Amino acid sequence: MADPAEFKAKQEDTKPIKLGTQEGRKWPIKEGFTPEVLQKMEELLPSKLNRIVATSLAGCIHCGMCSEACHYTQSIPEDKKLLPAYKADRFRKWYKYRYDWMAKVFPSFVGAQPLTKELAEEMYDKLWGGCTMCRRCTFNCPMGVDYGMLVRAARGIMCEAGRIPQHLQDTIDTHYNAGNNMAVPHDEFVETIEWIEEELQDEDGCENYTIPLDKRGAKYFLTLNPREPKYYPLTIQATAKVLNAAGVDFTISSRYWDLTNYAMFNGIDKDAKLFASWIFDEMKRLDCEYLLSGECGHGYRGLRWELPNWLGGVPFKITSVMELFARLIQEGRIKLDKSAWDGDVFTYHDSCNIARSGGVWEEPRTVITAAVNDFREMEHNRENSFCCGGGGGALAMPEFSPRRIAAGKIKADEIRATGATVVLQSCHNCTDQLKEICEHYKIHAKVMNLAELLSEAIVIA
Amino acid sequence: MENTVSHALYILQEPVQYVCLLFMASLYAMKIYQLMKKPGPPEKAELKGDRYAGAVHSLANVLRPWGMESTRNHMYFYTEFVIFHIAVALTIGSTFLIPLTPWLMTPLVSKVIMVFMGLAFLIGLRRIYRRFTVPEIRIISSPDDYFAITLMTVFFGVGFVTMYLWIQGRPETGWMWIFFLMTTFFLLYVPFSKISHYVLYPFGRVMYGQIFGGRGVLNRNVRGN
Repeated sequence: MADPAEFKAKQEDTKPIKLGTQEGRKWPIKEGFTPEVLQKMEELLPSKLNRIVATSLAGCIHCGMCSEACHYTQSIPEDKKLLPAYKADRFRKWYKYRYDWMAKVFPSFVGAQPLTKELAEEMYDKLWGGCTMCRRCTFNCPMGVDYGMLVRAARGIMCEAGRIPQHLQDTIDTHYNAGNNMAVPHDEFVETIEWIEEELQDEDGCENYTIPLDKRGAKYFLTLNPREPKYYPLTIQATAKVLNAAGVDFTISSRYWDLTNYAMFNGIDKDAKLFASWIFDEMKRLDCEYLLSGECGHGYRGLRWELPNWLGGVPFKITSVMELFARLIQEGRIKLDKSAWDGDVFTYHDSCNIARSGGVWEEPRTVITAAVNDFREMEHNRENSFCCGGGGGALAMPEFSPRRIAAGKIKADEIRATGATVVLQSCHNCTDQLKEICEHYKIHAKVMNLAELLSEAIVIA
Repeated sequence: MENTVSHALYILQEPVQYVCLLFMASLYAMKIYQLMKKPGPPEKAELKGDRYAGAVHSLANVLRPWGMESTRNHMYFYTEFVIFHIAVALTIGSTFLIPLTPWLMTPLVSKVIMVFMGLAFLIGLRRIYRRFTVPEIRIISSPDDYFAITLMTVFFGVGFVTMYLWIQGRPETGWMWIFFLMTTFFLLYVPFSKISHYVLYPFGRVMYGQIFGGRGVLNRNVRGN
């Protein structure tokens, strides 16, 4: 008879690894702005007012200089209520009603309003479905009003009170419950990576290339967007091919590898911190030197700029594949054959979170100009780039899809003007949105990320 | 210039102003205290740029119209803004210079101030028209927005006439009384109005500059990873 302890240990070994939290969470979403929801929002407001949010709420002078900065107003000019100042005012009116001195006596004189069902519904419509928190208006505001932070605070209040688009919250609940936002099980993820590795090794000259899983002490811990193992495994293959060709020592965690953090979009800091802490723990477990963000806009910003704030600092370095690729090229560690892409015309879309909120815009251009002969900038580029319309969790809010596609018109027009046959970007939300707007506005261009670009042009020694 | 005034106007120009100024300063101090009590933006990430340089860069944004698309593409609007705000500074300055150092209000100085007041008056009229007629501006405008710009425009108009009379050697006129009564009203009213945006301006600009300066977005002398 087998030893019961040994039997139990064997059972533990074969039991699927449960990632995420132990309890199954389903966020209690309310049907509408009931008096209870409004009351809860009233209670939550003070907790969301940090110095930036308070200044941004009090500081707008209604000059209207944000009117040309927003992709919504540029793409849908007939709807004046998409003006950033108007959208923010849905929140500001309520804030003023609570905190403005003049509003205590003459509320309507300063445009203050109590939080009513009608105001809350307009806030819901405009701040979930009419803003991608891209901060282009912030960059064009003479007062420095941070619309991104202001909208996130408003979303956080609505979400905590139970009013959030269902699908967006489902994505966050999935991350909470499963450890990644597409509920890819541990075994399935490992099998996918092993399969991708085999596919990579089938490529000419790549027989010895590997995708190390859980390799302790590797220099880089590569994190992925769940769309990659789920729908775009070739992008993992492409990234791994470039890293192997350059001799980069990297690994992927089999446990917490999801770099996304949709809690940036629903404004719930507690969840954002939790997801960030999983990545932090994996960095410690694997003892890597660099946390390496894959190609993902908000994911990059979340890891590079927000994670250290959520967790109070980190003892490791954080970078992105965009920056790493550029450095590998500059150091001559990868050779590229530009003729591989002859015949194609390329343009690059700067993801808002990577460029405007992240400071990374020359690195992608270093990569692109090393790999292709015909690269053309869009009219608005780098920190001035227009949002494609897919940011801020917009792709996870199907109820606002018609407006999202309409808001992509300015970007579609700029892509068309370049004559590009390939639109490059480094963000999966941008990928999906750019594909949709190219199809909708009948632009015949492929959408591709930087790893895929390099993978085709790389010369294997 | 030897412009002297009656005791009554002196009371309005000096003690009353000081009391009202103290009132305004107290309210601003309260406003700033309330703001500073709130948690500031943390920055624990390894920086790519300089937060201090970013803050300075951001504060100086007002002097670089090419720095923002919204001003770059609307230089006329920006020029109006500059003239208007120089006029504000000169007008406020004149409310101190007239009672305290009238000898500094030479005809030349007075004429310069008067010109700016006159231009600001015209700009104010145009801004009122814009607020009423541009649909996207109209829908975001509150009565406070209309009142503030109207009040400023009238103030510049009154100031223009007052300066003209001052240059003629007529310091105590009905216009001067209106000018200082309006100044008194401003000192009491502004802390409650949108006109107090200038108190928040440095906070908004500095925080913006710190965030995006630190991230290497504003100052492109970035450090690599």
